Amino acid sequence: MIVLALLPLALQTPYWRGILILCAMNVLLALSLNLVLGYAGQLNLGQSAFFAIGAYVSTILIKSHGWNFWLAAAVAVVAAGVLGLALAAFAVRLRGHYLAIASLGFAVITYQVLVNWERVTEGVRGIYGILPPPGFGNQVALFYLVGGIALAVYVLLDNVVRSPIGETLRAIREDEVSAASLGINAARWKAFAFGLGAAIAGLAGCFYPGFVGTLVPEAFNIVESFSMMAMVIVGGTGTMIGPVIGAVVLTFLPELLRGVGELRLLVYGLALTLVVLFMPGGIVQAWSALWRKRS
Amino acid sequence: MPDFLALAVQQSINGVYLGCLYVMVALGLTLIYGVLNQINFAHADFVTVGAFAAFFAATRLATKALGLADTTGYLLSIVVAFGVGAILGLIINAAVFAPLRERGDELRPLIATIGVSVLLENGQLALFGPIPYQFDSPFARETIRIGRIFFTEQSVVVVLVAAASIAALYAFLRLTFLGKALRAVSQDRETAGLMGINPGLLIGLTIVISSALAGMAGALLGPVLVLTPFAGASVVVKAFAIVIIGGFGNLEGTILAGILVGVVEAFTVQYLGSGIIDLVVFSLLLVMLAIKPTGLIAEKKEENV
Repeated sequence: MIVLALLPLALQTPYWRGILILCAMNVLLALSLNLVLGYAGQLNLGQSAFFAIGAYVSTILIKSHGWNFWLAAAVAVVAAGVLGLALAAFAVRLRGHYLAIASLGFAVITYQVLVNWERVTEGVRGIYGILPPPGFGNQVALFYLVGGIALAVYVLLDNVVRSPIGETLRAIREDEVSAASLGINAARWKAFAFGLGAAIAGLAGCFYPGFVGTLVPEAFNIVESFSMMAMVIVGGTGTMIGPVIGAVVLTFLPELLRGVGELRLLVYGLALTLVVLFMPGGIVQAWSALWRKRS
Repeated sequence: MPDFLALAVQQSINGVYLGCLYVMVALGLTLIYGVLNQINFAHADFVTVGAFAAFFAATRLATKALGLADTTGYLLSIVVAFGVGAILGLIINAAVFAPLRERGDELRPLIATIGVSVLLENGQLALFGPIPYQFDSPFARETIRIGRIFFTEQSVVVVLVAAASIAALYAFLRLTFLGKALRAVSQDRETAGLMGINPGLLIGLTIVISSALAGMAGALLGPVLVLTPFAGASVVVKAFAIVIIGGFGNLEGTILAGILVGVVEAFTVQYLGSGIIDLVVFSLLLVMLAIKPTGLIAEKKEENV
């Protein structure tokens, strides 16, 4: 926490402070996906859709209807959560690859609606001049806000996964049929994971437009779902700290290696492939294995 | 012929042409799924690589270096793309599928192929840049007119190549010993292994065939798409939809669904505008998944506890 508080002081330039805010947002997104992918074991490739819903619903309510930021954010989070439940309705019936494609389709449809429903979303032209949340106009304040929320969400999820709910989700992940035979209502708990995961992604979405100042559908392309997945996998699925590490590493690594055009995604692709091939448990597992070997 | 009928016939022809392109992309996906129970997310990028290979083969190698006519050059480029796809298939099998197969996890290889996909897309972006390449097929210049129906020679080439590929694939699977072994592996890998079939080899062969088909699909799609490093991705999402609508791993279902999606797309463009094609196709997919997740032609599978 102290580290968190001191970070903006260590990085003085606006550029690096911007990266810090982005990193906090990525941590939120990675945490949200990890609940579904890591704990409930559901391969969800549609997480970018909920991020998009959070961003668009809050922005449209503020810009076109003059709502207060916090009220709009609350509605946007609920909207994302409800959409998460809609995807869960498919997840109850589908498994593995089918769910992967259905959730991908979900993200594609959301993206296409954003592009085509121009009357409301302005389509590819985008929405401009979006202000940060009132009172958080400067970068340091915004970082404390998003970072604080990420920390709160971390604590919340950490408690959830250590509670019996977490046990239930892990049971569904390991073997759904056996879990059902023990009297676990898998459908309900999958819906819980998808709904909560979607709401958290929506929450991250509320802060994104105010941070960049503009909102275009391109920011919520399917590849964003893939980068969230890369963060979770590279860090270590099914652990709490893993996705946080993954998000931090994959946000900063491309910035450190800057110089060759659009390098970010190249790094993501490479990291994702290598981690799956050579350290299936991600950084967390590799680290603890290394630690054990030493002692 | 009344107007609406002429229009319907015209759009059906356009639809079948589009459908054949989609089938070419989807065949490889469904083949890999049928034999390995795996999804290859990098399939899209094999299509793109095939398209770039064909582009350079047609514009540089064939017409400039070898001095061939542009029509022969384009046909040659299809063959080149087929070969490049096959080589890529060999590489991805050795690098991703084969090492991960032993671990028996079904999601890891899928995630690895997503990584490969992002890697290939952005690698090509670094090599070829974001500006679209102009890949003209000499056959697209010639139009055939029958009554009030028009179509290009390119669409004839596409339909012929697709039909020939499907026929060759079927002949291979039904008539050759290797094809029989492949079907055995797809039904039950372990038992096939006990019968003296080397599953690893045949799985490798499947991936090579499917990638070669993807490369060829790239050569056919190149002149249709805006040729950028992300060209394949725009088609492959639709190919996934097709594979699911047709029933994963089911060749007949995939062909049927591919043509169906092509025709639906052609009529959507006519009556609703081209912007919402993906919306229509994916709504179709989600409806299909909600009603009949096994696809048009159901395959029977038992649940193991």
